[in-house]
Amino acid sequence: MNQNIHHAGVKFLNALSRHADLIMQVYLSGALDASKQDPKAIETLVQAGILWRPEAESELRLKQAIRGMLEGNLHDERNRQIDANIGSSLAGLKTLTQHYKEAMHHARYAESETYMTDLSQHVYALTESLGNSVRVLFSRINNEFGYVSSIDAKIRENQLAQDQVSELLKQLEMFQFDELSELAGSNRELRHLLVVTLQQSFSKVTQELSIVQARLLSLLGRFREFRGRTRLLKGFMLHMEQKPDFTLPDYSQLTQVSLLFNQAKPIIKAAVPDVHRIEHESVLQELVGTIKALNRVKSSDSKVRAAVSISVSEQSSVVFEEDKLKQAVESYFCEVIDSGKRITALEYQLQNDLPFDSEAWLYQVIGGYQGLTEEEQSYFAIEATGEPDPIYDGNYIIHDVELGLR
Amino acid sequence: MMTEQGRVLEALLSGTFICQISDEEAWRFLKISGNAEKIETHLALLNRTLATCAEGDVFFAAYQTLSESERHVLATQFQEISSNLVPLVEWLVLVQQANGSDVPITQSSAIRLNELQSIIEDTPAFAEQLAKISHYRFFGSTSVATEGQIKQVFKRLTDMGYLLKPNPEKQIYLATGKIEYLYDVLKFIDETEALSLSEQADNAVQQGRLL
Repeated sequence: MNQNIHHAGVKFLNALSRHADLIMQVYLSGALDASKQDPKAIETLVQAGILWRPEAESELRLKQAIRGMLEGNLHDERNRQIDANIGSSLAGLKTLTQHYKEAMHHARYAESETYMTDLSQHVYALTESLGNSVRVLFSRINNEFGYVSSIDAKIRENQLAQDQVSELLKQLEMFQFDELSELAGSNRELRHLLVVTLQQSFSKVTQELSIVQARLLSLLGRFREFRGRTRLLKGFMLHMEQKPDFTLPDYSQLTQVSLLFNQAKPIIKAAVPDVHRIEHESVLQELVGTIKALNRVKSSDSKVRAAVSISVSEQSSVVFEEDKLKQAVESYFCEVIDSGKRITALEYQLQNDLPFDSEAWLYQVIGGYQGLTEEEQSYFAIEATGEPDPIYDGNYIIHDVELGLR
Repeated sequence: MMTEQGRVLEALLSGTFICQISDEEAWRFLKISGNAEKIETHLALLNRTLATCAEGDVFFAAYQTLSESERHVLATQFQEISSNLVPLVEWLVLVQQANGSDVPITQSSAIRLNELQSIIEDTPAFAEQLAKISHYRFFGSTSVATEGQIKQVFKRLTDMGYLLKPNPEKQIYLATGKIEYLYDVLKFIDETEALSLSEQADNAVQQGRLL
């Protein structure tokens, strides 16, 4: 019998490994596309009970047992099943324990050993399934239900997970350790299995479930917050689309201004360096050292220069004019010497029809006289006609200058 | 050397929003009980007070008492806020839609400029929406290319303090607490004006007018 089971098991597992590619394809896509695969291989898998056809017309699918094994092993987050049937497992455990105790009582040791193995197998299976359920819940929380995209779907997933948690907790209440310990009695092995192992797993699971529950609630809060914000944004956009002329009343002029609309004006500006602080001297010097002196000739500069060159030529003409003035003054002095008469400067200007401004002419005459050497000055007598300024005393207004020989 | 308190005070007086993203040290300082009171006494000298939003996670300086001149400042400020709302909201919705994750931008959300740009470039509807948004006066882009538009939008948002670029060499932006402030403003408007924006959005979805 044992030999047969062993043989059949190996054959089954071989079938699995031989068609591993195909099985994984079915696992990932959900159903088998029969047209692309070898019909013989499919036939083998169907016979081995790996693939099955749920309805006459439907496609081939993986059996749940295989799917569950893969999900458990791959930690696939699509696995949302939680085995919460603790009640029946516990009932099974109790029954096996009674079988075992009866066998022991009648000293059927071989039989009792089989029951013991069975019992351990069931206890460990129960603890494993509890641990698995919690792990499945955690993995879904940890990636925040990443397998669904919309927030609404996430909220639904969250609610499903919360239902599963409460279901699990309800099932966990079925653990009655006083009953189990009574059942185990004084048998050391039974006590270890039924009380110690189960209790450890029970306390671990309840602890973790309470964490899961808290995390789920906070996640739900966050999702709701996200949804609220999305709605707020979209609602505002819609509102502005429908009522483009919507304007807000000026909240800042209410008697009680909300803090949201009460932001103080920035008042701090950068400080100014104090050049008289000795301790800052080196820093400031460094800064000055980094200033680059650039001597770039800008195009606008050259224009200014061009203008300057024009004004130079004007200046030369002015010099020329001055020269004329000077020459005229010299000829005036010569006229005085030649004629020996006293002639006022304005008279001379009028006689010779000189084109200068009379004031400039007078200045030049006085200047010309004062520009002579002392010896030359002594030949001439100069006399200004004029009057003191009527308002500002100390000033003398000259109307004309009379020049003659001494 | 300036103490942390001085630094925080300076930040507040220069009109910045302090959040965990923009200035974590200052934020922690203000979160420690007692420190806020110390800052408050300094601010009070200048007719200012420590204000918070986003459930106490974002700090800024507000006026303590409002007289004529303060109200004048607030009025201009309000004008600015209200005229910027539409461009900002449209931008937030665009980014959320382009991300495809249905998660709104909140404080500390990371936005990868390059990814966003390629999604927008590949989707004509998004590109059109971006063009519209970037040409608002708030963003002030004159570019016709998507790249120029999105860069200008991000630059503007960074200048305004809504986004932060932690690494100057990488085109990754983080949303700051000022985004939270924006949501607070929207909530306030929604409640005060009784606009029931959420219901409007819900109804639109039910009527098949998916945005």
